[in-house]
Amino acid sequence: MNQEVVVTGLGAVTSVGIGKDEFWKNILTGKSGISEVTQFDTSKFKRHNAGEIKNFNTSDFIPENIAKFMGRASQFAIAATKSALEDSKLPIANIENEKLAVIIGTTMAEANVIDVSGRMFIKDEWDSITKQLLMNVFSPSIARNIGYFLKTKGENLLIPNACAAGNFALGYGFDLIRKGEIDFAIVGGADSLSRVAFQGFQRLYAMSPDVCSPFDKDRHGMLLGEGAGILILESLERAKQRNASIYAKVLEYGLSCDAYNMTIPSRIGIKKSMTKAIKNANISLCDIDYISAHGTGTVQNDKEESGAINEIFDDRKVAVSSIKSMLGHCMGAASALESIACCLAIKEDIVPPTINLKIPDPECDIDCVPNNARKIKVKTALNNGFAFGGNNCCVVLGKPCYS
Amino acid sequence: MGKRVVITGIGVVSPIGIGKNEFWKNLFAGQSGFRDITLFDTKDLKVKIAGEITNFNPKAILGEKGLLDLDRATLLLLSATKLALEDAGLKIDESNTYRTGVSVGTTFGSLHSISKFDRESLTEGPRYVNPIIFPNTVANSPASRISIKFQIKGFNSTISTGMSAALDAIDYANDFICLDKADTIVAGAVEDLSMQTFLGFYKLNYLSGLKNTSAAPLSCPFDNRRNGIIFSEGATTLILQDEEYAKKTGTVVYAEILGIGSCFDPAKFYKYNPKGYGMKKAMKKALKAAGLFPKDIDCVFANANSTKDADYIETKVIKDLFDEYAYKIHVIAVKSALGESFSVSGGFATIAALGALTKGILPPTINYKEKDKNCDLEYMPNKARNKEVSKIMINSFGPNGVCTSLIIGRYKS
Repeated sequence: MNQEVVVTGLGAVTSVGIGKDEFWKNILTGKSGISEVTQFDTSKFKRHNAGEIKNFNTSDFIPENIAKFMGRASQFAIAATKSALEDSKLPIANIENEKLAVIIGTTMAEANVIDVSGRMFIKDEWDSITKQLLMNVFSPSIARNIGYFLKTKGENLLIPNACAAGNFALGYGFDLIRKGEIDFAIVGGADSLSRVAFQGFQRLYAMSPDVCSPFDKDRHGMLLGEGAGILILESLERAKQRNASIYAKVLEYGLSCDAYNMTIPSRIGIKKSMTKAIKNANISLCDIDYISAHGTGTVQNDKEESGAINEIFDDRKVAVSSIKSMLGHCMGAASALESIACCLAIKEDIVPPTINLKIPDPECDIDCVPNNARKIKVKTALNNGFAFGGNNCCVVLGKPCYS
Repeated sequence: MGKRVVITGIGVVSPIGIGKNEFWKNLFAGQSGFRDITLFDTKDLKVKIAGEITNFNPKAILGEKGLLDLDRATLLLLSATKLALEDAGLKIDESNTYRTGVSVGTTFGSLHSISKFDRESLTEGPRYVNPIIFPNTVANSPASRISIKFQIKGFNSTISTGMSAALDAIDYANDFICLDKADTIVAGAVEDLSMQTFLGFYKLNYLSGLKNTSAAPLSCPFDNRRNGIIFSEGATTLILQDEEYAKKTGTVVYAEILGIGSCFDPAKFYKYNPKGYGMKKAMKKALKAAGLFPKDIDCVFANANSTKDADYIETKVIKDLFDEYAYKIHVIAVKSALGESFSVSGGFATIAALGALTKGILPPTINYKEKDKNCDLEYMPNKARNKEVSKIMINSFGPNGVCTSLIIGRYKS
């Protein structure tokens, strides 16, 4: 009981790079993955930009005869899982074992499949919808497809907890290992761009016409992104036994629910999940060296999040950055990718920047590591994730030696 | 560690009744909940019946206010939750809200809304869609509405695993209580009957009455005539509590959660593994978690949903696992009366099992007429029976490979 849990593998599929090395290199140099959307026609929309992945070649990761049964989000997720497993050097015998669980978070699941079926539906072409397409509308498809592809045999869950889903998945994987129920977990999140999400976020929030500039005084709103982030979790005991290289230790996580509004964040709820995470991790406030912000770039979120951070940290200026400034908001993948960034920040003692910052906003009076990465000692990092429905999940990661 | 988890509240909205008493009464009486679909036009369809809840009036349960923007799945779930909270006599306030969480199993709960939203966008143009309905399109929207409506602030999670989602949400909740992250969890499940979901099953050829259109659709698990499912809708909510906490509040305890096992069977792509590897593993894991042997189980509330392969494989696996004892236990398929309600099916089965535990009556597998020589266990055909039972296994196995088994037992303090 009460196993310690560590991260031993990272896999990222993003608009700034496929694979954790390219992703991290570009994140640190402040490269933006934002471009004009090409997957669907945006001419009727007022906005046209997103963090779309342009150079993803499915067949690099998945044989074509299997890939055709999967939506884009599943393909991202499998690619990220494969790179994470390679990175962790976990033997096949451990993967095809009931002591390994697959827990994946998402917001829209296979929404680009819904785009296709929706169009057919309206044009009364329902008869031409194939079985394959329908199978993919079924949202458990992402976790299931990973399980099927890798022949995993343990628990297999899809947690559609929207924009903090990656953190929720990581948290539950952590719980199951800690309890001793499993030894290994493939956790993370995935989402693909879709017309329906593009439409929805545009109607719901301010969507920026050009770039995403969190914490900037003139920020114009969020941008969507897409991708997948996968982490391999295992018990410290197992990792030591097999001499695995360890990125970070999962110290704990904290959940809260605003119970306030479906789309407007609440400072009380945000603070609750952050303080709960720190308290559960049994560390003190001064131990936190870096915060990976939810930082969507909307006026409301950034103001409330900055306020919450300042109230909790009593105006001590912790380094806070939002990699959404480069990737856009990758929905279910967002917090998983941010957890990956935290692991790498801890491993290499450097924190990524918030790009596009021109004029600091007095209402966001935090140190947002503007425009340039910064070398600082990162013993522990806090990763914020806030979702639709006021569902908040903050994860605390620390150096492997941290106890 | 070593925490015990108990069930202290039951809420159900189903095609055979709203509220636990009506649900149990009709289930024991062998009533089924299938009727002509009224929610959408079935003119061009070969199958026109489903387990639709025709007498569902959300305002009667939830009051008049604040229901306008909610979709059917959300209304069903909120209603079941209200009933469960009342049943448990649970008041959520500042003193307990941060130690109370929500865990909901649903898979297609948002499909209707997402289709509606998409349709508006495509036909009316992007500028005319109603932004209020976009939050409904996200799968965790029904669960989030529970938190907003009942002011539950501990946490809020949704699990989408297909057919086993209700049990997986109970598993998630159970883990949270065992890890001392909450005292009380509202564990719900919901699936609504919408044209989109129905057409999905229709196109996938899952529905009874599609292959042989001369016969009316029939839900007859384990029976030789079985030829597919009847789709149905509903919502269930259970209040799960830490046993010590429940004791302190003095609430009535219906049963204890003894063990849950869940695993994935990757053998086939969207088909049950004929060898039943996953089903067997899930049942074994549940027994192990409960510290029980097969002979300790009094009856099994089966996953059987009236499809050829699911019912047969489950029978085979039960014989494998329970050995000669398999013929001595009762294997009951409540889907004969309730249909295949997908994510909520495990919730219906669990509430049926709670009825058996507390009332000492085993509900029947109805519509059972013609024996299938490969399915030869004791299925409790057509008539309920008085029998005291103390430990029940509940199975939920999805063709997507996720298999979960839950064992509940009579509570002794």
